[in-house]
Order: sequence, then C-alpha cells, then structure tokens
Amino acid sequence: MGPIELLHMSVFSQSFSPCGRFLAASNNYGEIAIFSLSSSLSPEATGVNQKPILTFTAHEGPIFALLSTDTHLLSAGNGEISAWSWGELAKQVREQSRDNSLAVGGGDNNIHVMDLETGVFKSVLQGHTDYIHCLSMREREGELLSGGEDGAVRIWGERLDYCWNAVIECGRPQYGKWISCLTTDSDWMLCGGGPSLSLWHLRSLSPTSIFPLSGCQRQAMFYQDLILAVGEGHFLSHCLLGGEVKSLIPCSPPSLNTLALNTNSTEHRVLTVGGSSDQIDVFTNLSYKAFSLSF
Amino acid sequence: MSPSVFTFNDAKDKFTAATRSALDSKTSKPLITTFSQLPGNEAEKKTTLDQALRGVLEAEIVNQKANCDDFLALIDLSIDSVTEGICSATTPFLLLGDVLDCLPLDQCDKIFTFVEENVATWKSNTFYSAGKNYLLRMCNDLLRRLSKSQNTVFCGRIQLFLARLFPLSEKSGLNLQSQFNLDNITVFNKNEQESTLGQKHVEDKEEGMEVEEGEMGDEDEPAPCSIPIDYNLYRKFWTLQDYFRNPVQCYDKFLWMTFLKYSDETLAVFKSYKLDDTQASKRKLEELRTAGGEHVYFAKFLTSEKLMDLQLSDSNFRRHILVQYLILFQYLKGQVKFKSSSCVLNDDQCLWMEETSKQVYQLLRETPPDGDKFAAMVEHILNTEENWNSWKNEGCPSFVKEKPVDAKPIRPARKRLAPEDFLGRGPDRKIFMGNDELTRLWNLNPDNMEACKSDSREFMPSLEEFFEEAIEQADPANMVEDEYKVVRNSNYGWRALRLLSRRSPHFFQPTNQQFKSLADYLESMVIKLAKELPKDIPSEEIKTGEEDDDNSDNLLKETDSPGMQNKLVSNQQMDEVAAKLGSQWKTLATQLEMKAAEIREIETDSEDTDMQAKLLLVSWQDREGAQATVENLVSALNAAGFPKIAEALTET
Repeated sequence: MGPIELLHMSVFSQSFSPCGRFLAASNNYGEIAIFSLSSSLSPEATGVNQKPILTFTAHEGPIFALLSTDTHLLSAGNGEISAWSWGELAKQVREQSRDNSLAVGGGDNNIHVMDLETGVFKSVLQGHTDYIHCLSMREREGELLSGGEDGAVRIWGERLDYCWNAVIECGRPQYGKWISCLTTDSDWMLCGGGPSLSLWHLRSLSPTSIFPLSGCQRQAMFYQDLILAVGEGHFLSHCLLGGEVKSLIPCSPPSLNTLALNTNSTEHRVLTVGGSSDQIDVFTNLSYKAFSLSF
Repeated sequence: MSPSVFTFNDAKDKFTAATRSALDSKTSKPLITTFSQLPGNEAEKKTTLDQALRGVLEAEIVNQKANCDDFLALIDLSIDSVTEGICSATTPFLLLGDVLDCLPLDQCDKIFTFVEENVATWKSNTFYSAGKNYLLRMCNDLLRRLSKSQNTVFCGRIQLFLARLFPLSEKSGLNLQSQFNLDNITVFNKNEQESTLGQKHVEDKEEGMEVEEGEMGDEDEPAPCSIPIDYNLYRKFWTLQDYFRNPVQCYDKFLWMTFLKYSDETLAVFKSYKLDDTQASKRKLEELRTAGGEHVYFAKFLTSEKLMDLQLSDSNFRRHILVQYLILFQYLKGQVKFKSSSCVLNDDQCLWMEETSKQVYQLLRETPPDGDKFAAMVEHILNTEENWNSWKNEGCPSFVKEKPVDAKPIRPARKRLAPEDFLGRGPDRKIFMGNDELTRLWNLNPDNMEACKSDSREFMPSLEEFFEEAIEQADPANMVEDEYKVVRNSNYGWRALRLLSRRSPHFFQPTNQQFKSLADYLESMVIKLAKELPKDIPSEEIKTGEEDDDNSDNLLKETDSPGMQNKLVSNQQMDEVAAKLGSQWKTLATQLEMKAAEIREIETDSEDTDMQAKLLLVSWQDREGAQATVENLVSALNAAGFPKIAEALTET
C-alpha cells in the first residue's frame, strides 16, 4: 500500500468482534483489516500495535458495510455479500448458534431478508422508490426500519407497514432529501442525512428535536443519555436528547463515515471513528481522542 | 542568716514562696516586695527569680492535677515581673518552652493560643531581641511534632504567628535563593509491573500516600482492570509533574522537547474535552458554601490510572494543572538573581511559551464555574508576584521607612521652570506656555480681553439675520398663514425679545398699543424693522453684485454670481472641493490666509491629500465661523487659480 493509496483511502465501516477484542474495518479498496484492541489498549502499546494484525482483500470494489454476528463477519460490497468466520480470522471462537436472519437493503429499492444458516432469501420487502441506504432493527417490537434515497423512512413489521417522509419536517433542501443514517432505540429514532439529524418519537411519529449540526450526518447512535453523530466535518458531535449540541470533539480524518462503539466487552469499551483517511481514531474517554489505528 | 549576704538557696526559697502567694493573690506584689527586701545585687536577684519561677512551673507540671490555666497564670506573672524589672527577659520564653515540651499536643493548642494573643508583647522592645530566637526554636519544635496533613490548621497558625512576629525582611524566613522543593515527587506507574491494579495489597506504606491502592485491600486475587485506560496520556500527563517540580530542567534542550510534546498533547486533550457547568455540581457548591465557608482540600495528586477519566472531568483538578503551567512560565521568563547564567531561553522557546500561556488562559476562562473571574484573579496574583520577585532581587530591602536624620526644611527643587520664567520671554513677545500646543493656542491672541472682543466671537445674530424669516412672513404678498408664522414659536419669541433688547431701540420706546400676546407684539416689531432695514430684505431672487462685507480678511476680486451670497459652505460642497483640489490644497491655503503652523499641522495630521484638503477647508471654516460663505470660498479659489472648481462650486 503505497503512500498515494493511503492518502486516498476512506474507511467506510467498522465492526467489533463478538468477543469484543478485535475491530474489523473496511475501506474503499476492498480490504478488511483486523486490529487487536487488547494489544493496542495495553500499557505497553507501541506504534506496532496500532497496525492491523491481519489485512485481506475481501471484495474487488469498496466495502460499504460490515456486520458481525456471533460467529461471522459479513461484508457487503457492490453486489455481493461475503461471510467470514471470525474463528478463522482471529483464532478465537465462541460457539453460539442462534437462528437469525439478515436483512439486506439493496440498490434495487428492496429489502431482502435471508436466513443466515442456509443462505437462502426468505422474503422481499418492497415499497421504497429509490435505493436504500440504511436499516435498523427495532428489537422490542421486532420491526425493521429502513431509510433511503427517496427520503422516506419505512417501518416494516409482521403486519404493519408504515411509511412517512421524514423530509417535510426537517428538510434541508440544499443537501437533498436522502436519509443516510438511521438508528433506533425502540421508542426513539434518529434519522439524518440530507435533512438535519432529528430525533423522532416512534409512537407518535413526530419529530421531537432537530439538531443544529452543519453538514450531513452519516452515522448516529444512542449512548446512555447522549446521542453521538458523525458526518461531514472532522468532529464527533455529542448531542443531548433535548436538541442541543453539547460538544464537538475533533478527530483526525477530515470527514467521518463511520462510528462504532464496542459494547461487547467492558474492558475494551472504546469508541472508534473512521472516515476519509487511513486513520481510525480510538476514544477511551468519549471526550478526547486517545490514539489512532492505521491501515 | 546574715541579711547583707546573698545566699542562693535562701533567696530561691523566698522567691518560691512569694511566687505561690502571688499566684494565689493574682498580683505580682509579693514578688516585688520580696525582691526589694532581699540583699544582693540586681543581677543575682534576677537570676534567682528566674530559677525560682522555673522551679515552680516544674512542680506544677509534675503535679498532674494542674491544668493549662495555672501554667498560663504563672507565665503571665513572669511577664509582669519582666515589666517590673525584677526578672530577666528570657524567662517567659524559657517557661513557655518548658511547658510546650512537657504537654501533649491538644493542650499545646491552648498554650499556643496564649502565645498568639500576646504577639504585641513579644514584639515590644523589651522582649523582642531576647525572645525571638527562643520563639523561633519553640515554633519549629512544635512544627516538627505536628503532621501537616492532619493538623493543618495548627501548623498554619504557627506559621502565621511567625510571619507576624518577624519583619518581612527577616532573612531566615525567606527563600532567598529561590530553591525548589525537589523532594516533592509525584509517583505514578511507569510500566505494567508497577501497576498496583490487580496486585495483592502490599505492605508498602511509604508509597501509601502518593498512590491510591483502590478498593483492593482485602482481595487476594488480582482483579482485572474493568475499563479501558489510555496509558499513553496517563504517562505523559504525570511526567509533566516532574517538570513542575524542578523547573530548571526546562533549560536543558532535550528535556525541553519532551516537555513541549507532552504539554501540547495534554493541552489538546483539555481543549477538546470541554467541561460543562452541570446543575449537579452547582447544587453541591451551594451546599458546601452554606455549610460554612468554602471547603478547599489540597491533596497531593492521586495518580492511579483508573482515576484519570474522573480527574479529567473535574474542573478543580484542571485548574490546578493550568495554574501550575502559569507559575512555571512565570519562573522561566522571570529575572531571578540566583538563576545561573546558563538558564536562558531562546526565541523559539519564548514564542512557544507566549502562545501556550494564551491557550492556558483561554482554557481557564472556559473552565466552569466562574472561569473568567478565576482567570482574572490568577493573572492579577501573578502580576503581584513580580513585585515580590524584584524585591528579592534587590536583597529584600526593609519596608520600614527610615525617618530622615536632619529635618531641615529644604526648598523643593523645581522640576519645571516657574511660570514667570518663561511667560512673555519668547521672540516677538510670543508667550511660551511650556507646551507647544498650548503656546500655539495662546498665541492666536495673547491678550484675552482683545480676543473676546474680536469679531469672530460675536455670536449674537444681527437683527436682519434673525428676523429675516419673520419679515418675509409678514409680507402679505407671501400669504403665510398666521399659525405658521415663526413668531408664534415661543422659543423664537423669547430669543427675539432678547435680541431686540440688545440691538433695537424700538424695544425701549414706550407705546400705547396693547398687545394681546407676544406673537402680536413681535409682529408689530417685525413690521417696524422691516421698514427700517429695507436693504436687507432677503429676497433671494434680486441680487446685486457688491455686498457690504464684514469680513475684512477675504479678498474679493470678481463679481459673484447671484444666488449664493450668504450661504455657508456645506459639508458636501467642502467634500467636492477637497476632492477636486487634491494635492494642490497648499496654494489655496495661502489664499485663505492659513498660518504656516496650521499648514504644517494639516500635513502631519493625514497622509491622504484629499483628507488634507478637507482639513484645510474645515479649519478655514472653523476660523471664519459665520463668514465661511460660499462666496468667500469661491473668490479664494479664483484667486488661487482654480477657476474651474470655483465655477463648479457656484453651480451647486
């Protein structure tokens, strides 16, 4: 990986291993790198520990999504989904078999649900008029939320199937109407993208607060009583549920694509952000950047 | 016993008895009487009394039923004896020393209160020189016995007492060489083996104060660390304390680079980690305040890794670190006599320090609560420190002003010449005021009375000017309605009356006419005036060429075009003329009879030629006042050789 490639590298997504000790990150060259968190967080970490322990080319094109299940790492690029066994990757295995299905949002405007065990597609959810950017599970109710380029957020459930346009309430026409990030906490939902990042109450389907963040937010998540969001702009925003932006923490990449919090392990509970640079910033304390891992 | 020979034991016994009776009767009379009765010379008797008093005190101490008040009574007695002259001055101090040596600490507290209360006595002439060394030794002994962290208040009281007792310039109390407390080492975990996390509780008591053992006390198994720790920041942060402990290290190049790097990182963390003024902490502060004063606890730094996160979010901790930086910078920049000559900073380092101090002050201001006030206070205190620093550099001169030995009244030497020396002494009888500007102003017209009489100070308008409008309105041909007439304006009416009283003889002529109102009266006056001053009726259409000029210093060479005789030059007109004049304003200046000094002044006032031209016109207008008319300016312009500008002016 020459210096030019490093300069043009963007990290598109990240995922933590089920045991919480490893981080997988994917970039626009189709590579996935595995970093060992335990060694980079240890007291004797040096520069070497901040490099990946394993890098491999997973796809030909950029990899836009990574997801970890209990045993596998799923990566998705342009047109194909691959599953990698964490066991082989990191020589650590935690056996757990659970029957879960995977919902995949596709560029064909549909959501395909497939069964992980067999690899067979179970059903197709149609309704979006443009391609789908993001999906989120609403666990308590067993529903799926999807947001896409058409600016609509749809809730798919067993019987119900709402759709409403998030655009009208908090749209920013100069950026477009696409929804690029969606996350839910069963009662609350965050969505953002072209329109401003906003917090919606799902029962009443109305927005409760709109966050005054400039730029489009690409990923957001709930954490304790804060909302963390990353997007255009080289900072991680902490926002309060009431709608104020509490603080903006500067990070090294100039624009951020992905944000991940390691909830699988308490001793390596870090927050990582990645974006249009080959550095992935690691935060041990949410308010300042501790160090950076690099591809 | 032969009464004329002094025997020690005998005298001592007598004194002892006298002392006891003095204690009982609470006066020193018995002692005085015994003293005078005994044979022997003063010195012998005094020393005997000393011994006797000490003996009594010893007996009291040994007798365990005695309490502090008895001791204090005895010491009081000894002080009285000294004042009476029967006892040597060192005795009270010796007694105090004995008592404090023999009593436990809680009782020493009471004795010390007595010492504190009598500071004035100790400072008085009889006691001071004899007792100060004893007192110093006594206080130091006490301090050695006390623990700074447990008896903080008592230690503080002793120190304060010493500060009050000795003058400021007492050398033994000063850190003359500006030495640092190099023993104040902050210990932290440099590598994993030393980490106390997960280790059994070791009997390592010396480190006990510095490093927190956490809650690991009773566990036998090592517990793994349960939160992620940023070791990198932890190590860098605590290494900084070493630089604060021994600032001289900063002068070494290599160590300085390390300091720079770590500081930059730490300050970046502070900057990105902004603290909020949360409601919870506000409530707590309120509680503390109501609980009786601000409770501030100066702990030595606790350096466990697990505390790092909490410490970063604590505003008091952050303030400590930032103030440490400011103190360090002040030392590095300051002039201290005892710094060795190799301790200098080069330009880069100074620049870095300047920038970082600004950053630190900014961070202080952002740290709640009351960040701004705190930063301002710190800045003020550090500035005051500069004074102390320079005082030390001068060898700590005493603050007591010595009374001058000879009190001869000296004629105060004059720093400036007396006015009679320079007034009226200039060439051409120009009067020097001692200051160029004043001189210029004064010499515009040295004689005040003449100046007051000059025409340019004539502010009262002439009758024709003031009543111009009224006369015009009175003309029935103009058909001005009554209510719009200016004479109805009460302000105008009042001024009209004043003017009439000064200028017009009609005012004083008795008349039989009855006037219903001021306005009617004024109307009749106006008509009279109009008849009297026909040539000044200002109908602007009819204009003849010449006009009677009051201005003696304008040169009129040509006929003026009609229609602009008495109009004053407006600002806009001046701007236009100035723009056109540009750099040639000096020619016009001579036409306008500007003095050379004024021309020079205009030149220095502004660089821009347009501005200078404007200034010229403005000063001309100031000087002329009511005579700064368009007509005059036009004639000046024509005379100066700017016919085009003059023409343009007349057209506006």
